[in-house]
Amino acid sequence: MENETLLHKYFEQQLSDEEKVLFTSLLQNDAAFAKEVEYQKNVKKAITLNEREALKQKLKSYEAKPKFRTAYWYSAAVVILFLGGITWFQLQRTSPEKLYQEYYQSYPNVVAPTVRGDNERNLKSDAFYEYDSGNYEKSLTLFSKIYADEGVDYALFYKAMSLLELERHEEAIASFDQFKTADNNAFSPFVKWYKALSYLKLNEKEKAVLLLQELAKEENPQQFKAKELLDVLK
Amino acid sequence: MIDAPNMIEQLKSGDEKTIRRIYEDHKNGFLLFASRYALDKEELIDIYQDAVIALIENAKKGKIDELKSSLTTYLFGIGKFMIFQRLKKKNKTIPSDELEHFELEYDDYSEDEINIQLILLRESLKKLGEQCLKVLTLFYYEEKKLDEIQTLLGYSNKDVLKSQKSRCLKQLKDFTKK
Repeated sequence: MENETLLHKYFEQQLSDEEKVLFTSLLQNDAAFAKEVEYQKNVKKAITLNEREALKQKLKSYEAKPKFRTAYWYSAAVVILFLGGITWFQLQRTSPEKLYQEYYQSYPNVVAPTVRGDNERNLKSDAFYEYDSGNYEKSLTLFSKIYADEGVDYALFYKAMSLLELERHEEAIASFDQFKTADNNAFSPFVKWYKALSYLKLNEKEKAVLLLQELAKEENPQQFKAKELLDVLK
Repeated sequence: MIDAPNMIEQLKSGDEKTIRRIYEDHKNGFLLFASRYALDKEELIDIYQDAVIALIENAKKGKIDELKSSLTTYLFGIGKFMIFQRLKKKNKTIPSDELEHFELEYDDYSEDEINIQLILLRESLKKLGEQCLKVLTLFYYEEKKLDEIQTLLGYSNKDVLKSQKSRCLKQLKDFTKK
């Protein structure tokens, strides 16, 4: 086989076992071949780095502040919307149902991102797969089972989240209550937050406010959201 | 939840609107999720951008055609992986219970940025003609097979493409020597 074909197959990741042996031996014994491999690897890196840099510039531009003209129109629009909306908003803002819808956001799967093929399937990955796919009845069953078997926090949390997604708020609150609130783990602020939202949905404003006040008091990922929601509730 | 198969197709074609939408739709969620790690906001945005870049790159390489999770989950997984790499570099501790077996096929070339041959190559690539850059990018960056490139760019047969590719490599070499 020609060396060139061998190189193509190497970069296409299509070398057979025999060809791999041949490739390795050429790499060791044929200096010109080794140099060519090295060169093409560098070409690959150079193109990759250029592509990444171009993309990075593009993404950074999304972060840039809007230019003055645009900013001007934005502020004009904001003022109009503000004046027009404020009356309507005053009427609507205190409806707990509305607030729930405004503030509720599905909590993403941050525990077991499932990426590769099927080779490591187990109860945990199945549970998250169903949760990710929006099959909350199934994820509820699976997380409940994991929690019953292992008593782990994440299973309890996502069990409660599945219940929330299914609009079964009383049961969700019961699950959240099983968390030992004294323990400060990564889930605690979110447990309080979603429990508060559940109370809102059930029109139990006082209980929601108590939880939000706890959240607003100290630094945590939900602190600002909690303050914001408290202000609206007052 | 975003419609994964369709999005992946659009990412492959480099559709700007899709890139921007993915970027903006997930940014706040990612920052919220990442706020529990000891990194400041600017650094987290930097990592988030790298994660989006890796997502696009792997989409182009066809590595996530069979994705079993939502794109959001995948993107957050990459981001989390990159946060841990960053923390490691800074010798900060990583919460041990969180080290899930997340596999990311993604070469981190950041060490190579100071390799002199590579710097020359990166400059020379900018002088290359459009067609040459297309062929080399499809082959080396998007990891397409020669057969696929032949169809994509409409070459009459594989040999024409092969000789085109080796001409491009030679041209690049000449640029680097100058």
